[in-house]
Amino acid sequence: MAWSSIRSALEALIGRRRADRELAEEIRHHLDLETEYRIDQGEAPKDARQTAIRAFGNTTRVAEEVRDERGGSRIESVLKDLAFAIRSLRRDAGLTTIVVLALGVGIGAATALFAVVRSALLTPLPYENPAGIVTVWSAWKDVDRTWLSYDEYEAWQAEIPAFASIALFASGAVNLTGGDQPERVRSAQVGADLFRVLGVTPIRGRGFTEDEDRPGGPAVAVISHELWSRRFGADPAIVGGTIEVNGASASLLGVLPPGFKLPLDFGADGATDVYLPLATDAAQQGAVPGPAMNPGGGSHNFYAVARLAPGATAAQADAQLRERVAGFVRDNIYTAAFGFRAFTIPVDDLVSGEVRQPLLVLLGAVGIVLLIACANVAGLLLVRGERRRRELAVRTALGAGQARLVRLLFIETGVLAAAGAVAGIVIAWLTVAAIRQLGMTSLPRVAEARIDPLLLGVALLIATLTAILTGILPSLQVRQLDPADELRESGHRASAGKGRLRWRQTLVTAEIALAVVLVTGAGLLVRTVRNLLALDPGFDPRGVLTMRLSTPSTWYGDSAAVAGFWNTLTAEVGRIPGVRSVGAVRLLPLATDMGDWGMAVEGYTPPPNQGTPGDWQIVTPGGLEAMGYRLLEGRLLDSGDDLNGPLAMVVNRTFVDRYLGGRSALGTRVLIGSSLGLAAPPYHIVGVVEDVHHNTLKSTIKPGFYVTVAQFARAPGSTIRSLSLAIRTDGDPKALIAPVRNVVRQVDPRLPISEIRTMEEIVGASIAAPHFAMRLLSSFGIIALGLAAIGIFGIVSHAVAVRRQEFGIRAALGAPPIELLRAGLWPGLRQTAAGIAIGTALALGLTGLLSRVLEGVSPTDPLTFVAVILLTGLVAFIASFLPAVRAARVPPGSVLRGD
Amino acid sequence: MADPRSDVLQGTLEMLILRLLSAETSHGWGLSFRLRQVSGDVFDVNQGSLYPALQRLLRRDLIRAEWRPSENNRRARYYHLTPAGRRALDSAVADWRRSAGAVERVLRFA
Repeated sequence: MAWSSIRSALEALIGRRRADRELAEEIRHHLDLETEYRIDQGEAPKDARQTAIRAFGNTTRVAEEVRDERGGSRIESVLKDLAFAIRSLRRDAGLTTIVVLALGVGIGAATALFAVVRSALLTPLPYENPAGIVTVWSAWKDVDRTWLSYDEYEAWQAEIPAFASIALFASGAVNLTGGDQPERVRSAQVGADLFRVLGVTPIRGRGFTEDEDRPGGPAVAVISHELWSRRFGADPAIVGGTIEVNGASASLLGVLPPGFKLPLDFGADGATDVYLPLATDAAQQGAVPGPAMNPGGGSHNFYAVARLAPGATAAQADAQLRERVAGFVRDNIYTAAFGFRAFTIPVDDLVSGEVRQPLLVLLGAVGIVLLIACANVAGLLLVRGERRRRELAVRTALGAGQARLVRLLFIETGVLAAAGAVAGIVIAWLTVAAIRQLGMTSLPRVAEARIDPLLLGVALLIATLTAILTGILPSLQVRQLDPADELRESGHRASAGKGRLRWRQTLVTAEIALAVVLVTGAGLLVRTVRNLLALDPGFDPRGVLTMRLSTPSTWYGDSAAVAGFWNTLTAEVGRIPGVRSVGAVRLLPLATDMGDWGMAVEGYTPPPNQGTPGDWQIVTPGGLEAMGYRLLEGRLLDSGDDLNGPLAMVVNRTFVDRYLGGRSALGTRVLIGSSLGLAAPPYHIVGVVEDVHHNTLKSTIKPGFYVTVAQFARAPGSTIRSLSLAIRTDGDPKALIAPVRNVVRQVDPRLPISEIRTMEEIVGASIAAPHFAMRLLSSFGIIALGLAAIGIFGIVSHAVAVRRQEFGIRAALGAPPIELLRAGLWPGLRQTAAGIAIGTALALGLTGLLSRVLEGVSPTDPLTFVAVILLTGLVAFIASFLPAVRAARVPPGSVLRGD
Repeated sequence: MADPRSDVLQGTLEMLILRLLSAETSHGWGLSFRLRQVSGDVFDVNQGSLYPALQRLLRRDLIRAEWRPSENNRRARYYHLTPAGRRALDSAVADWRRSAGAVERVLRFA
């Protein structure tokens, strides 16, 4: 369109009324002059006006033509079509509602999932150029991934060219004291160069200097923006002042940017709030590299992040690490038998690795839902098109071009898609809110998903695509329209429309096929989650409330004080009505990973150059009972196993199998932390418990031992200061939160409580990824089945309606109702069978994508496939049955009367 | 086809309007009057059909319109030719002459 016509169109649209007024004036002027002229010519004045008007022609029509020539008529007529479309859609309220809901569900699900994907996978991590950051790990036999030793840090820093820089950190927790409310928060001890490696600068103040990061350095801290806002009211004056950490004051050097988290802080446990210097001393810690994994050496205790050198890749770093480790083994610095490994994990993979594949699968699934919704809407519009053939034919006969009709149809689908987009945005918003609510917060960054203007744009884009996709078929229908033919055909057709039904049948077949794919995926995940939940964790998580408490050395100077505190606390908590047992454990299973401690076991000689490692769980008397650990032999630990009593140890089943070779464990002597012969007093095994899956539900079980806090302080002489209180009840564990809090406050009001969770929540969080995938995929599967059912219902209704006359005649001729029912059912079931066959084939090809998420079930699990086929068949049968019954009930007379 | 005032003439209406306006600025009735006068009433089509044609020419920027007082002191919409309109007229007239000449030759010599 030339500029002038655009301008004229716009002017016409804006100044339409004025132009119309002027045109009327111009025509009146013309008629006046013509009348005067005719009077001059001698006509009678009363006739002159009439002749003038006759000579002019139909004024309304002229005005119409001028308006058409003015341009802008296109926009105007689009508006007219729009109003018409809305009117006619409102007449079809039932159909419109179904279509809008179907589109809304499709658009909403897609938008919500995109919000999750964007938050979890597409939003860059809060570091500078996160693609260049890797985390560095060690591993050896039985241990897939563990911390670095200081020696390794030094070696990798000096000898791995792919690392530009590397920094260490360790995690912990501190009590923030000095305010009205003591608070326990996550803390990290970080090397002075950590923030530089991650490329983050405090928004207030500064980070640590090398000089502050040394043993005996000044008490300094950097805090998170979140803590700064929450506890200190974002007061700028506090920076440069002091805060109280674990009862001692520390200078607050700086505040980190909002949203900053350490690479390991993206899970359920929340982010680190207080950063302290790591204060390592190269002179003390930096011995020769290795053999640092000497059992009991305990020196693998640092996390590490490295910035890759420009142009270097994580794969190169891994190759260099492998090479270096091989060198250590050749030089006998590392023991070959230990199978030591070192490797990197890019920080992006570390954070989102677990959710990436499920999310991508879900994204594909939501695309399928959207396709089904489109197919469904297209199908429904086709029916509508069938019903409107005569209307459209009349319009064509009256001169509306095909292009005009197609435009009208696209305007209609556009209106539907716009309404669908509005519904979709509401559904997306609710879905995202539900995702945040439904305990899916334990998936890294999923909980940060939100609907914002960008996502509204995405929803609109999806809606536009939907409108185009759904508009295509009905407009093809218009192209086949032959008005003469259509108008000649009277309202009565014995078996018309069969050819036209073909498109809809194809659509329904496709819908069913896609639904089968989704439901199969959902079925496999349902089985996975059931399998995971059915795995025996080795303890009983039902009815257990847990919370973390810490006894800082400032207030509890020695191990007797610590043991005394726990004795008093557990005794007091035990008096709360409803509490069945109470105790404390060092690490909660499935919540915090457990490492091992070296031992010497009487009668067991480890293979050359290997230690006798054992996972160490430190408990208070009652802790094992409260956690529901199952006793196999002997007894659990009790109040007699105190500071003065004989050293008593409980071990797990694997300990007995591995180290005692089936001998009775009871009475066996075990030394913790050294080789036999050292002066430390030995423990005697007093009981054996069932293996507990501690690190994950699927992890291999390692030998483990259980001793009391009090006795562990005697041998090997280590005071455990942080424990999780576990309270078992027959009732609702959450009901105990308030009374237990009160008891803790009575025993020691200074101690903050943190990480209040039930064991069932912890177990749930440990399988959050498959659970999340299962929930979403199941929802999608149900939606897909529902949409497919609507589709089947639609075609069967249509087929039956079209053949109403035929059924009537057959009924009149004496066909039994059952035969008519069968005839009515047939078309729906034929499509269903085809859809199920295609869908099953597709699913067999696609479920392999889920293999990494699946547990205990094969991607081609026959049981799931058969169940899905039966379920889909049943749904299809019900959807076909209802309209088919109508076929059997056509009263023969009605057809003959010509209704 | 009984009506001698045929479509062919309709199609040339725009050219004729341009030609009339090239002689003098005029309002709609004036144009219709001159058309009848000059053509000996051959162009006594519905006078109204002039107006869509005028609107087409306006849209193509071949003519402009303005409101001003008429000779009997009423507000009237006057049309005048633009330079583009003058060029369009020239080429339309040339085309017309060429094809009319061709038709004429065929009629005469075939």
